[in-house]
Amino acid sequence: MEKELFTFIAGGTAGAGIRKAGAVSGYIFTRMGRRVFEMEDYQSLIKGGHNFAVVSSATYPIKSHYMRADLVVATDKRSYDIHKEHLNDGGIMVYNADAMKDEAVPNGVGLPFTTISRKYTNSELRLGVGAIAVLAVAIGMSKEELAEVIRSQYRDAENNINFAMEIYDAAAPQLLGKFTLKKTNEKPLPMISGNEAISLGAVAGGLDFFCAYPMTPASSILHFLAAHAKDFHIGVMHPESELAAINMALGAASMGLKTMVASSGGGMALMEEAFSLSGMAEVPVLAVLGSRPGPSTGVPTYTEQGDLRFALNQGHGEFPRVVASPSTMEEAFYLAAEMLALVQEFQTVGILLTEKHLEESRMTVDIDPAKAPWGEPIMYQGGDEKYLRYKITEDGISPLLFPPSDQVIKFTSYEHDEYGIATEDPNMIAKMHEKRARKQETLVKKLMQMHTVNVFGHGEPVIFTYGSTTMSVLEALHHVNMEAAVVQPIYLEPFPTWEFEKFKNVEPIVIEQSVMGAFETLIREKTGIRAKASIRKYDGRPFDPEELAKQIKEAL
Amino acid sequence: MPDDLTTYAENTWCPGCGNFGIFNAFKNAVKRLEQEDGINRNNILITAGIGCHAKIFDYLDLSGFYSLHGREIATAQGMKLANPSVTVVAFAGDGDAFGEGIEHLIFAAKRNADITVIIHDNGVYGLTTGQFTPTSPEGFRGPSTPFGSPEEPLNPIKLMLSIGATFVARGFSGKLKELTDVFYQAMKHKGFSFVDVLQPCVSFNDTYKLYNSKVEVLPQPANTVEEAMKLAEQTEKLPIGVFYQTQAPTYHEKLLGDLNLATQRASREQRWESIKALLQQNV
Repeated sequence: MEKELFTFIAGGTAGAGIRKAGAVSGYIFTRMGRRVFEMEDYQSLIKGGHNFAVVSSATYPIKSHYMRADLVVATDKRSYDIHKEHLNDGGIMVYNADAMKDEAVPNGVGLPFTTISRKYTNSELRLGVGAIAVLAVAIGMSKEELAEVIRSQYRDAENNINFAMEIYDAAAPQLLGKFTLKKTNEKPLPMISGNEAISLGAVAGGLDFFCAYPMTPASSILHFLAAHAKDFHIGVMHPESELAAINMALGAASMGLKTMVASSGGGMALMEEAFSLSGMAEVPVLAVLGSRPGPSTGVPTYTEQGDLRFALNQGHGEFPRVVASPSTMEEAFYLAAEMLALVQEFQTVGILLTEKHLEESRMTVDIDPAKAPWGEPIMYQGGDEKYLRYKITEDGISPLLFPPSDQVIKFTSYEHDEYGIATEDPNMIAKMHEKRARKQETLVKKLMQMHTVNVFGHGEPVIFTYGSTTMSVLEALHHVNMEAAVVQPIYLEPFPTWEFEKFKNVEPIVIEQSVMGAFETLIREKTGIRAKASIRKYDGRPFDPEELAKQIKEAL
Repeated sequence: MPDDLTTYAENTWCPGCGNFGIFNAFKNAVKRLEQEDGINRNNILITAGIGCHAKIFDYLDLSGFYSLHGREIATAQGMKLANPSVTVVAFAGDGDAFGEGIEHLIFAAKRNADITVIIHDNGVYGLTTGQFTPTSPEGFRGPSTPFGSPEEPLNPIKLMLSIGATFVARGFSGKLKELTDVFYQAMKHKGFSFVDVLQPCVSFNDTYKLYNSKVEVLPQPANTVEEAMKLAEQTEKLPIGVFYQTQAPTYHEKLLGDLNLATQRASREQRWESIKALLQQNV
């Protein structure tokens, strides 16, 4: 029978090429016209430990990996021990026989990965190639097809191909063509991570300058944009700290550049003083907050939604700011562009709140860069005797002008008069507060005209969720073919209360990755809607759609 | 005296404050750049930290960014990277640059960021009423160290020389002509320039007599860093002027080449094409 849904797990130590194997398997599935979702589980270490990639592919737009696999390739003993629990009915475990010598292995196919790999240099690094060879055998690829994949995806192709052929021959007697995967006629789609989607979306939206200090899980935005800075004609800088990153970004923004920064909770905490500066000086900046389990250093390479309140309350003092959270890689692409445009128009800070699960998972996407929003700030058109940076206007937006100019342009962190000189005058303090408060009202009016909440499906039950958890929920419902209305606010500040009017009498199930239910309490506070049931996960791992479907059924 | 480089803001520095010397010398240096080098004041941008020194931002009628305490050097570097055609000057207090934000000072010098940093070094936090700073002498009594500071002061000139700053100078707010000249040279210098200005605080740390008796004009810069270090170690006499100057490629040139991010941005369509090409590589 041709399989619609197929899940492949490759496991091994860090440094065994497991993450690469995950990416390459995705490449194989996309070329069959299948949609792919890949989740990488890795630890905060360089060598050793346990890494695995779960790659689920399907003939429909799949939105999550599944933890129960059809094929597991365990290149070390620890992978075998962990993933033997992760087999589907009819699933096959392929283990490294060299690593299991003294173990009784009740089920599975043992292959001498280590013995074969030792014939080659950098033997350990090749184990991931071995996992790809096993996958190729199991889904009935020919040797020629496998060689072509390796040639296009790996360096040192010749040795890797020779090694893969040896694994192929060893695996073929027991595994050849065990699975037949359904192909589609759809054109192969690119597979990108959430961080790549955010980066590309920002570039499409006009990003000029990105400045960041490394912190997992946001670092790959820095890596990706640094690698492609020349392609995009943008500036990318890795300075001495997050404090430097955000203050340099604001300096650059005061010269008219569209700027972005990115970090995780700890780095955002360091940047917080400057978010307030963005609010006062009215200098736009977009900040990506990539959540991992907190508090404090927490669990760096895993996922959580524990930073919701932190994101909403960034910056001391009262000022307008925008917070939004994308549900998928595609939405992340367009949202990054849209938020970059919004912060230009409203001259303030925007926080794109997301999680490790979206940032570092990879997914097939259908993106049209020409559909990305593009926003320019409202610029000064002349007419005043002197340019007034903080001109008091009806909508609270003071037109911008950037140095160098024949006008004097004064950005400032102090409360100020219209020209930008510090003030302690009670009348002026109140007027400037009111100007920024009117800007908040203008921002709300703008959001009321925009698409701020996704509603998927219809009927009962009603499920409220947000961020990357939305993908888990949608996949869970698809898996058990359950009807439900899934409500996902994209924008969280200003909160789109007007979109929740129609739900005021429902009792939703609220699903989030938080122990204290930050999202559920936010919903109650903003809309008065009380949850009938809560499903919360806070062990650092994303939801598994099968498990989640069970939990949803139990909650009914 | 109001002039065309001075705003309408009421000046609230204490009478006799060393900041007046810095203010006047800086305005003179700007005028000299305009007259002798054809640099328009519209292309001279300023940033400031927070403290008495920073009020200079409101008093100077120049464009720029009144930043946060300790962050003025980061802000200035962002401005310069955005558009390298401008001259950027960061005014900082000794608390800003040597305390709260010392990382930015060190890294700006390390990477040869093409900005000028002017330290209003009065050895005291004036605006917060007289606490010791990183350059206050050991034993300095202030509200946070009522029995005297237990810390040795740091030596800003030695710090900058050891990191490889390409222009290191000291000025004295009481010597207007010499200070003007140092500011002028610092702003003309291509690369990172650092000027530590000895500045009395008449309210909390009045060093006029001390500096007047010790300050001595350097006839010319030292030829080597080692020589400059020796000059910086002198305590009997306090040399003012340029200690050391050298030429090196600047940070923005090394990071961006000739690219001016503010004036040479890629069009929307160019961006779409590069993104499509990149996505296609993934298939």
